[in-house]
Amino acid sequence: MTVTSEVLAALNRAVLEGDDQTVVGLVRRALDAGLAPLETIEQGLVPGIRRAGELWEEGEYFLPELVGSAQAMKAAMDVLQPALARHGGARALGRVVIGTVHGDIHDIGKTLVGTLLAANGFSVSDEGADVPAERFVARARQLDADLVCASALLTTTMAGQRELVEALRGAGLRARVMVGGAPTSPEWAREIGAHGYADNAVAAVAVARRLVVSDP
Amino acid sequence: MTPDGLRALLERQVLLLDGGMGSLLMTVGLERGRAPEWWNLERPDRVEAAHRGYVEAGSDLVHTNTFGASPPKLQTAGLGGRCREVVAAAVALARNACGPSRLVAGDMGPTGLLLPPVGQASIEEFASAFREQAEALAGAGADLISIETMYDLREALAAVEAARETGLAVLASMTFEARKRGFFTIMGDPLADSLAALAGAGADAVGCNCSVTSSVMVGMVAEARRSVSARLVAQPNAGQPRVTPGGTSYDASPEEFARDLAAIVAAGASLVGGCCGTSPEFIRCARAALDAVVAR
Repeated sequence: MTVTSEVLAALNRAVLEGDDQTVVGLVRRALDAGLAPLETIEQGLVPGIRRAGELWEEGEYFLPELVGSAQAMKAAMDVLQPALARHGGARALGRVVIGTVHGDIHDIGKTLVGTLLAANGFSVSDEGADVPAERFVARARQLDADLVCASALLTTTMAGQRELVEALRGAGLRARVMVGGAPTSPEWAREIGAHGYADNAVAAVAVARRLVVSDP
Repeated sequence: MTPDGLRALLERQVLLLDGGMGSLLMTVGLERGRAPEWWNLERPDRVEAAHRGYVEAGSDLVHTNTFGASPPKLQTAGLGGRCREVVAAAVALARNACGPSRLVAGDMGPTGLLLPPVGQASIEEFASAFREQAEALAGAGADLISIETMYDLREALAAVEAARETGLAVLASMTFEARKRGFFTIMGDPLADSLAALAGAGADAVGCNCSVTSSVMVGMVAEARRSVSARLVAQPNAGQPRVTPGGTSYDASPEEFARDLAAIVAAGASLVGGCCGTSPEFIRCARAALDAVVAR
């Protein structure tokens, strides 16, 4: 096994285990050994974070482990960002605006989706909770967003997702819309004209990839 | 009611608790995004009517409308600094509906804050929040404290400790889902270990509520019975949520729910009731089903 493949394998393991200190050290070693930043991400980080997502879906990982992996990924990206810029930059997979709809203060699920999207290479602008449709629209316009993600955790606030879809359409923006949250469903997403639905943060990453790739 | 008082009562009978409060208030006009605790102050008539519905349906115990009345949760609901006021109003409403012969359980739910690695909260924040809420509930005259829907054992233990300081009997319930290796909270706390820890911390009854249907909860209670000797409390949802153009409904009928509740009692629970989506109609059916079991 070469030094670089050893470092990459160790990186994947450290991301999976959510060990951010080890991850940061290994990323520095990878760069010192002459690995390109993009290669480090694609071969050292992405398989680890994907595996964490799989383990979550299989019922092996719980929220703390999943968040740990996402945070390790983020710590690695903080170190890689300057190196990436020197190498001419890496294009983000897509620009995402995310938030919880107006009147709803539930933050956890939305934050997790945002963290995982960022960990998987999207450029994410997290607007927080209780976000009015107008603010989603303003941010999406300002950032020329590819995707707007809206969470609603209450049966009483999910109508805000419908308002959002209508407001984006009314504003003539191209951004796709993905919705999620406990009371929502694929049927609900179809009914309100959203482009995607995900019932957990890991699924949200896959749906976001599909929506952005299929973007006309 | 002291822990001894509750123990003596549970020697004699199974207690039928009430059903959901937030989901019920929504059906009578609670606006989107509005915390149910606001209605203790703004629409006391509707909150009291909801309690009365459960009492008339046969509940032996009703929960105060204070699930989200811990100081941090009230803060995010726009009721910051008003814990004592909200709790006092809520306890009075439950008491009005109950009269002297039924029990008023002071309801305590999660603060919404999260411990590392998921969030930045500390155990000390939980301890002081729950102490304030528990003292307010006891001071306003609640008969016992009922901790519900906890998903992090560390937060649940902080709540039990604060509740025990009031000297009242304490119910402690967490929310589990069926995963690959058994029943776990979203944080990965396993059912049997969690309930044993809550009982070890001095909760007088321990158990599970929310997240699952009544049929899944039969299995949860059976597993809990095998692993802990404490009294068990169980409050399932009214089936699975189903989204319709008119809003969310739950797919279990009151009759199915009542059958499962009788099975949950047979599996070893001493306190049973309903969570999200249940209504006085569910409790009425449950009352009939439980009375039929006792009569046999």
